[in-house]
Amino acid sequence: MTSNHVPRRTVLGGAAAVAAGLALAGCGDGGDADGKGPRERKKGQRIRLTFWSWVPGIDKPVALWNRKNPEVQVTVEKVSAVNGEQYAKMHAAVKAGNPPDLGQIEFPVVPGFLLDNGLLDLAPLGASRYQDKFIGWQWQQSVFGKGIYAIPQASGPMGLFLRQDLFDRWGVRTPRTWDEYEAAAKAIRKRGAWIETFAPTNGNRFAGLAWQAGAAWYTTHGDTWRVHLDDEPTRRVADYWESLVRRGLVKTIPDRQNAWYKDLQTGAIPSWVGASWGDALLVGNAPGTKGKWRAAPLPQWKAGEQAFANWGGSTTAVFAGAHYPKDALDFAVWLNTDPESIALLIDGGYGFPSARTGYRTTDLDADKDFFGGQAYSKVFADAGAHVDTGWRWGPGVDTLYQRLGDAFTDALADGSSFRSVLTKVQRQTVADLKDKGLKVESGG
Amino acid sequence: MSRDTPHRPAPALAPVAGKRPGPAPRGRPRRAPGPRARHARAAAGFLLPFLALFALCFLAPLGYALHQSLFTTERTGPLGLGGREHEVFAGLANYAHALSDDRFLAGFGRVLLFGAVQIPLMIALATGLALLLDSASARGVAFFRTAFFLPYGVPGVIASILWGFLYVPGISPLVQIAGSLGWDVDFLSRGTVLWSIANIVTWQFTGYNMLVLIAQLKAVPQELYEAARLDGASARQIARHVKLPLIRPALVLTCVFSIIGTLQLFAEPMVLRPLASAIDSGFTPNLHAYSAAFVGNNPHAAAAEAVLLALVACVLSFGFLRLVGGRGTERR
Repeated sequence: MTSNHVPRRTVLGGAAAVAAGLALAGCGDGGDADGKGPRERKKGQRIRLTFWSWVPGIDKPVALWNRKNPEVQVTVEKVSAVNGEQYAKMHAAVKAGNPPDLGQIEFPVVPGFLLDNGLLDLAPLGASRYQDKFIGWQWQQSVFGKGIYAIPQASGPMGLFLRQDLFDRWGVRTPRTWDEYEAAAKAIRKRGAWIETFAPTNGNRFAGLAWQAGAAWYTTHGDTWRVHLDDEPTRRVADYWESLVRRGLVKTIPDRQNAWYKDLQTGAIPSWVGASWGDALLVGNAPGTKGKWRAAPLPQWKAGEQAFANWGGSTTAVFAGAHYPKDALDFAVWLNTDPESIALLIDGGYGFPSARTGYRTTDLDADKDFFGGQAYSKVFADAGAHVDTGWRWGPGVDTLYQRLGDAFTDALADGSSFRSVLTKVQRQTVADLKDKGLKVESGG
Repeated sequence: MSRDTPHRPAPALAPVAGKRPGPAPRGRPRRAPGPRARHARAAAGFLLPFLALFALCFLAPLGYALHQSLFTTERTGPLGLGGREHEVFAGLANYAHALSDDRFLAGFGRVLLFGAVQIPLMIALATGLALLLDSASARGVAFFRTAFFLPYGVPGVIASILWGFLYVPGISPLVQIAGSLGWDVDFLSRGTVLWSIANIVTWQFTGYNMLVLIAQLKAVPQELYEAARLDGASARQIARHVKLPLIRPALVLTCVFSIIGTLQLFAEPMVLRPLASAIDSGFTPNLHAYSAAFVGNNPHAAAAEAVLLALVACVLSFGFLRLVGGRGTERR
């Protein structure tokens, strides 16, 4: 009997040890069986790069690259872009030490990744020689100090999408100023519809609207961040939308979700303060309204002004720890400048190219029929030319959006003022940045 | 994720609740130390795999979370960007931070309210169904038992997506039907969304709890029913005075699992969040910790919140056990 015990225990113990070993190996595996750190590809060596993105149709230009570059094969892994989940995943991967080689990262969150040392500085690889290929302010969105942290891909100049047929039927003229927009909202409400939804959780668009009004949420002073969320232009935007919300002239449902798509389809919401990339969204989710939409410039605070802003816009970034940074950079530059690649990206509806050349504005009118033959991309091209390029993003924008969303949600429920939302989020954001170990002060 | 904890152990526990495996070695004479030592060694051998996995999958993460919760990140470099970051000991600062966060505390209030309403409702429903299926006059028992249990087979995320479609105005047939009857319902408003989630959870877990209770009912010796019937007890009286007291251990068990599951509520609000602006980032404590970790990118704060959540779950479940255990299993 004793002789039976020993082997059995050994076997069990061995099994447990094996299980533990496997689990530990699972933890530490960063996918680099052949050692860590960046290196140069040997001539003729075949490598594989991983690229996390959610852009519709991104696989097509990547497939083209793969055909042209058999030695540097890029694999696209799609990530969810709902509620910032893609960045949660990326931050977790950075923290765990196994990020992909490349990632789709929007302008506002670039600083947040720098805070984690998540992105590779491309300047030592000579990235500055590509600067002239891109629109200046978009290139600057990922430049911090002497470092260049991403290659810009696309921007999202804002504009107004509207159902021309319904506006005509109801005798509502396309609003050119925010005053006219308010009048239009009243007229549309009388017809039983709502001009818009103020989605409390959409901090992204709120930032765009503040941007248009002349706000500057983040500035730097020496090595100190200044947060000015509660500034005059932002207050004006907050007051304006609060007044629309309180009078019931806009809905407050979340945007870009099923209920909202349904409202677009039925005309219950006949317009949208959106951005250039919104064409694909409308075409995909309200196909039955083909031919009835038009794009118009964003309403202005002062008649005749040309103040525009950007909503969205993204980059292709190389993560710190990429094994073959030079090849990753080559891919990122090719993806965003090669005319064939841009053409495929435009087909997918990725936004407004950051590249200066390689396309014509008319190429962007991919869904002309949907907009009744209008050359709608011109509207966004003009807006893009007038975007206030001084706007800078700071670290922790994800958290800022969440704070804004939570505070607006509270304000809608308990009736507290939108201005109090700004005061509160200003205070919280300063505290958040302090908690992250940054020098920060509250700007006026 | 939200309700994982209660699932696993139950099926193993419930059927054996009535019988206890006899500890054989105890009764033996203790003359030779040999067999005893051998048994101890054997026991250790059998326990080892469990203990190893327990340490690896439970104690290690717990210890890691505790450790993480005591640190914070400091950054250097111009504007904190691209500079070095290092972790410094922060004591209980993360805990103080969490406990002074109104949204985090409000999340606790919300799940406690949820539990106070949903758990009694669900357990009552599960008990009712179990008694019905166990009654002598029940027909199609196998079919109904499977049918009631089926929702449990649907993962929480999928269930939330399914119900999401039934809740969203403009798409939901329920809202449409209610609307055509002149009843304007909004399942996702600030006042209703918690109960819409309660509905999903009830739909999912009633059948599961019912099954645990049925398993215990099956373990009741038939002679007891016979005796009761001979004494002239009606079916209703048997259910009330024989069956209910006897399935008390299973009821306690399902209640404890439900308490833990409720505190850990996560998947349902997470999935419904994009659809309902009434669900904020700290709707439940778990969601708050998730937001801290993955949106705020502050794993230290999230670890502190997770530890607090575990503590509350511990206090509540043991508190509940104490409360019901004090009166003993056999009632008069």
